[in-house]
Amino acid sequence: MTTKPLLEVRGVRIRHDDREAWTPDDVSFTVTPGEVVLLLGPSGSGKSTLALALNGLVPHAVPATREGTVTVAGKSTVTATVGQLSAHVAMVFQDPDSQIVTGTLMDEVCFGPENLRLPVDDVLARAERALRQVGLWERRGENPDRLSGGGRQRLAIACALALGSPLIVLDEPTANLDPAGIDEVYAVLRSLVEEGDHTIVLVEHNLDAAIDLVDRAVVIDHSGRLAFDGPVRSVLLDNVDALLAMGVWLPVSTLAALRLREAGVPIAELPLTPSELAAALDEVPSLVELPVVERSRDLDELDLVSRSTTTGAGSTTGEGSATAISVKNLTVSRGKATLLRHVSLDIAAGEFTAIVGVNGAGKTTLLQAIAGVVAPPRGAVSVGGLDPATADVRALAASIGFVFQNPEHQFVRTTVADELAHGLEIARVDRVEIGSRVDAMLERFGLGAERDVHPFLLSGGQKRRLSVGTALIAGAPVLALDEPTFGQDRERAAALLDLLAQLNDEGTTVLVVTHDMQLVADYASSVAILRDGELLSFGDTATTLAGNALEQAGLRPPPLAQAMRAVTRHPSWRSISRLADLP
Amino acid sequence: MTTLDPYRERVEYAPIRFLHRLNPLAKIGATLPAMGFLLFTRDIVTPLAFLALALVLLIIGAHLPWRLWLALGLGMPVLVSFMTLSFAIWVDPDKVDRAVTLLTIGDYRLYLGSVLVGLATAARLMAILTLGLLAGTTSTGPDLVRAMVQQLRVPYRIGYTALAAYRFVPRFGHELQVIRSAHRVRGMAGGRGPIAGVRRYLGYVVPLLAGAIRHAERVALAMDARAFGAHASRTERHLVPFRSRDWVFMALFLAASAAIVLFIERSLP
Repeated sequence: MTTKPLLEVRGVRIRHDDREAWTPDDVSFTVTPGEVVLLLGPSGSGKSTLALALNGLVPHAVPATREGTVTVAGKSTVTATVGQLSAHVAMVFQDPDSQIVTGTLMDEVCFGPENLRLPVDDVLARAERALRQVGLWERRGENPDRLSGGGRQRLAIACALALGSPLIVLDEPTANLDPAGIDEVYAVLRSLVEEGDHTIVLVEHNLDAAIDLVDRAVVIDHSGRLAFDGPVRSVLLDNVDALLAMGVWLPVSTLAALRLREAGVPIAELPLTPSELAAALDEVPSLVELPVVERSRDLDELDLVSRSTTTGAGSTTGEGSATAISVKNLTVSRGKATLLRHVSLDIAAGEFTAIVGVNGAGKTTLLQAIAGVVAPPRGAVSVGGLDPATADVRALAASIGFVFQNPEHQFVRTTVADELAHGLEIARVDRVEIGSRVDAMLERFGLGAERDVHPFLLSGGQKRRLSVGTALIAGAPVLALDEPTFGQDRERAAALLDLLAQLNDEGTTVLVVTHDMQLVADYASSVAILRDGELLSFGDTATTLAGNALEQAGLRPPPLAQAMRAVTRHPSWRSISRLADLP
Repeated sequence: MTTLDPYRERVEYAPIRFLHRLNPLAKIGATLPAMGFLLFTRDIVTPLAFLALALVLLIIGAHLPWRLWLALGLGMPVLVSFMTLSFAIWVDPDKVDRAVTLLTIGDYRLYLGSVLVGLATAARLMAILTLGLLAGTTSTGPDLVRAMVQQLRVPYRIGYTALAAYRFVPRFGHELQVIRSAHRVRGMAGGRGPIAGVRRYLGYVVPLLAGAIRHAERVALAMDARAFGAHASRTERHLVPFRSRDWVFMALFLAASAAIVLFIERSLP
């Protein structure tokens, strides 16, 4: 306890120039050398802003008012410049693309040390060490564009290491990555932690990936105030109710254990990781045989995650329902590359189907072909009897709505109401009818107060709701979404998924491309797994996830499935992959 | 487009490929006067002489990909013929030598004088282009920036920011593609002709700009966090010195340019 703190945050409050609220508000904590600290909080709590304050970007580069002090290695971040501080604090940001400024990996890693005016030999030595640490030394001559997302984020970590700073701050480093990329980044972080030379402050929503890496958790609440600070296990497990009420996401294994406890399963100590959950279940001498039909529905907090119960169970039982989408022997080539090969599948009306696969497996290509965004070959696709290859925009909009990854891309008008009316105007719907349908849609998506606002001025969540509204207003019974949760925090992702689940309950067929396996498990009623442009597996979620198709496709099963597969004492539990299927 | 990639790797070529070993500024400084002079010439011989000089230097001193040679060998004659004809048709017949008529279609007469004017213009443009290739195909973007920072004392903050900005280009290209397909899905493809086209493109501007500004802000934060601009100078791993051979090349090239100009002045009537 006598070690001198490396980072000292004292009474820090920050207000962005264009906002009213102070987030964070009066936050104090210290970090000693070698610690790995997880910074947690609901969205809007000011975690990222606080992260920017740790190396002086707030207030030096971001227009904001700041009170309190941040001291790094004895230097105040107000008097020292960002450049001077960069020798003590390095940052890794969320978007790997926006951190790359040069044309080769080598130049990229040298960029920081060069700016610090180190001698050439030192620059080269640091660059080599950093690139070797993240396993990219062999590729030093290549253009960063050729790396995968995970590779580029590893490069960003190497750039941080090359600065030689003892403290590394990572702000949501895996939010833009696919599961393989997340694994890559965490493997690198794990090796850094094992070396023990670095102090790490990690802002991360994906607790399942980060939990076994961190020593300590600092939690900020909704209003930006410090809520908890202490060893990660006790912070998370002793304050479960408070954290859930705050909107902080707990590890899936912990949520599962809470649910089981509620159902009467005697779990002595709450687990944080899949392996702990498996061990805890193996301790229990006997468990009910699954599947269990009745579920307790009184757990409001847990419902945040398990909301899909009705969706999942309900829609798969709808046998004999009409086919919403039919794909027959679909092959798509672009240039020399074949992106999809002989894909055939039928999706029944009312399904919530997830399309998964590693990057480059053809997920988005399949979704775009189905929705006619990129015209498929004639006769290969039928959406409600319509062939997107030959249908005009109007007919297509009435049968399938497409939501792009970035909602801004598809806004074409200057007010929210016009944006919604657009699809109907093109379909030459009668004026009065347009008015009432737009009003209904505004009401439905909680955008009534924003009807005359420019779509670009909406908040992120509102933009997303508007894009879903525009896709549905022409009456399309099918909604296709391309990675709708990409780069979003869990809270916003959950809000969107709840909306989709609701639409699905009301009869809309939902088709979604995603990387998030727990999301697939909890929300989707069926899963299509793609590998190298071929359909590896297609079927209802529970059976598909219970098999080994995910692994064959290079994906990892969701955390809960990982835990359950490790259970040895209760064989009937081993195929569980979703919270909703637990007793 | 590989030849214009500013991040293209520096490769060591055979010793005879001397152009790659020169300072980019020497190459630009040597050819700029000639390019400027060509803008004001009217005859055919001067541009052809400079064209020949540039081609000889490229053939000897530059290692170019075969695609570029193909483009030069096949593309240049086609382009010259095309431009010659177009300029010949555009040029005001009252101002040319009308002694020889090549072609008569109805009232229209194509004079030899017009064709010669067209040829001179085409040759001029080709000569300027080829002179530009001397520096353009044998220097890398980072080297040009380094030379500008090291010799011309351009602030490195400007030079390297420009280089970083070049990374935006392919990104925006991709983003534009996505926006176009998004707007097509929304039924904005309607209408043909230039006005509908302009309106369509105006619709892409807002989303593209919104994305661009956000991206630029993030890049700026990431560069700040890595000490960019923290000090008055930064370490250069690659020095791009201005050596005697650069002075020699400039002197020789300027002398050759002057010789061509003087010789042609004197021999033409």
